[in-house]
Amino acid sequence: MIDFLEAAIRIATPLVFAALGGILSERAGVFAVGLEGMMLTGAFAAVIGTWLTGFSAVGIIFAMAGGGLLATVVAIVTVRHRADNMVTGLTSNILALGLTTYLMRILSGSGRPLAIHLDPIGAWPVPVLSKIPVLGPIAFNQPPLTYLAVIGCAVLSVFLFRSQWGLKLCATGENPEAVFAAGADPLNIRMTAVIGCGAIAGIAGAVLSLQQVGTFTDGMTGGRGYLALASLIVGRWNPWGAALACLGFGAAEALELRLQSLGVPLSSYVMQMAPYLIALAVLAGLGRSSRLPAAIGKPL
Amino acid sequence: MNKPANTGAVQLSRLPFTFARDHVIWRIGFALAMSLLSAAILILLSGKNPLEAFWAMLAGAFGSPHQIGVALNRTSPYLFAGAGLALCFRAGVINMGSDGQIAMGGVGACAAVLFWPGEAGLLASIAALLAAAICGGLWAGVATAIHLGRRVHEVLATLLLNFVALLLVQLLLSGALGQPGAGFLQSPLMPRGVWLPRVPQFDFHIGVLIAAGLAAIISFVLWRTPLGFAIRVAGKSRRAAAYAGLSAPGITWRVMLISGAMAGLGGGTEILGLHHRLIEGFSSGFGFKAVTVALLGALEPAVTIPGALFVGFLEAGAQAMQRQIGVPSSLVTVIEAITMLFILAATVRRT
Repeated sequence: MIDFLEAAIRIATPLVFAALGGILSERAGVFAVGLEGMMLTGAFAAVIGTWLTGFSAVGIIFAMAGGGLLATVVAIVTVRHRADNMVTGLTSNILALGLTTYLMRILSGSGRPLAIHLDPIGAWPVPVLSKIPVLGPIAFNQPPLTYLAVIGCAVLSVFLFRSQWGLKLCATGENPEAVFAAGADPLNIRMTAVIGCGAIAGIAGAVLSLQQVGTFTDGMTGGRGYLALASLIVGRWNPWGAALACLGFGAAEALELRLQSLGVPLSSYVMQMAPYLIALAVLAGLGRSSRLPAAIGKPL
Repeated sequence: MNKPANTGAVQLSRLPFTFARDHVIWRIGFALAMSLLSAAILILLSGKNPLEAFWAMLAGAFGSPHQIGVALNRTSPYLFAGAGLALCFRAGVINMGSDGQIAMGGVGACAAVLFWPGEAGLLASIAALLAAAICGGLWAGVATAIHLGRRVHEVLATLLLNFVALLLVQLLLSGALGQPGAGFLQSPLMPRGVWLPRVPQFDFHIGVLIAAGLAAIISFVLWRTPLGFAIRVAGKSRRAAAYAGLSAPGITWRVMLISGAMAGLGGGTEILGLHHRLIEGFSSGFGFKAVTVALLGALEPAVTIPGALFVGFLEAGAQAMQRQIGVPSSLVTVIEAITMLFILAATVRRT
């Protein structure tokens, strides 16, 4: 049971970061379809940064810069040039896939992907608290970025709903004309929000590559960005709600792994489909009750 | 910030890419030039000579009849799916599920051939292509039902179904459609009788010709029929379409089914003409190429023909470049994505 919960949390962590970034972008009125690519760029930059310097902290900063850079491209094309959010986001995902694949090969100089093997970031047990039975190993014996995900949820909630900047950002997603009338520049707010989204989604990539795998492989995000997108809708654009939805997906995948190891006679392909089917089913179940920010996807 | 005087205009328009009437060709040309420039920089980064690499690309794409044939085979699925998408986007429906629809088309064609009762011949080929179109259309129909019935955004519904389709192909190949003991997830080789005919000397299968014909027909539908008119109106303004008594869900259903069937045919011809068996992941990444083709063709179904040819020759050329100069062929993906971004930035509506 403890193993199962640990697996669920492990799988959910990158999703949570991606979803937090996505909330920032979508609350400001820009669809976050580019999450997948921002994660991938982050995962790549994190590995390169750590490989170059030997410090995972530098890797994480690289990841934020990488994700932010790709997001800047998305922001310029969608916000400044008013292009369609969905197609631009998807294109940026492909750009990230192509670029990271290409760079991994030219960095090695041999046409093969560069082979980097890093030790995954280990757990940081919280003194005393991690000794609590059951709860301790689950909640207080996690790698650092997992704690950061929880802190991130809290910070983003306070920022969005309790600070003046956050309220302005939410207003930009609902009624940019009103924000303009109130004397702020909705275009700038959207640009900043999208770039912030990229930096946070970059951390999501770093969680995958630095904390869980220890290397970068082509297209290693494998659709997690889209799952994060689904979970932030399920969580109604609310950080804690989205995190809960991510945990749900994490639990589904952990269950799948568990069933596989128990040798349940169910095709592994069916089980791999489960997260996507669950996402579709939940989205369909929410149906008309989920309400998008009013001005989302509308160019200014 | 440049706000339109009539704020209603922003909300009314659902067409995601309103191409400005003026200078579309130049803008697309500019986008291509910028992406080639970026590509040159990336090639320099890898320590190779860009001119040499581009020359290898050109030679690889057009060097011999056989190379041209290879490029035309690559063009085929992109043209099928891209022409369908152009229609879809015209109606303001963003179908991002070509990947899955192409894969399901492949499944349909494969299943039809494997379970065909009679002799493997022309009739079986035609049945397989029909099955491909139907399966592709059905897969698009699933997404449409989720989108319209439960108000899930069509982009999310189609994207998530891509992953399901991909796994479904693997599931089927590990079971009913698979070749036991092959070591790979693939179906048995199809009998020669159902293979699509090939054009002599160039050695490309007739898929690309069928695709071009269908693209022309779709263009006719778009500009010369009541359905095409309804699609164009709905794309410009949902409200105007409703006012004119046109049913928005009806139009969405039609364009989704047509584009799904086109993508399915793309998958079917790929199986019958090129691979002669269903292979795991044969369609991965095709969906994005189809979007590229639709945009390169300025959402004009007939113009997607040169768009698809460009992408097909670019990729065939890049393969040769990788072999000869050693520049990784994933550069193509970067070129395509950068072209798309420039087209998106340079051609949308300005007020």
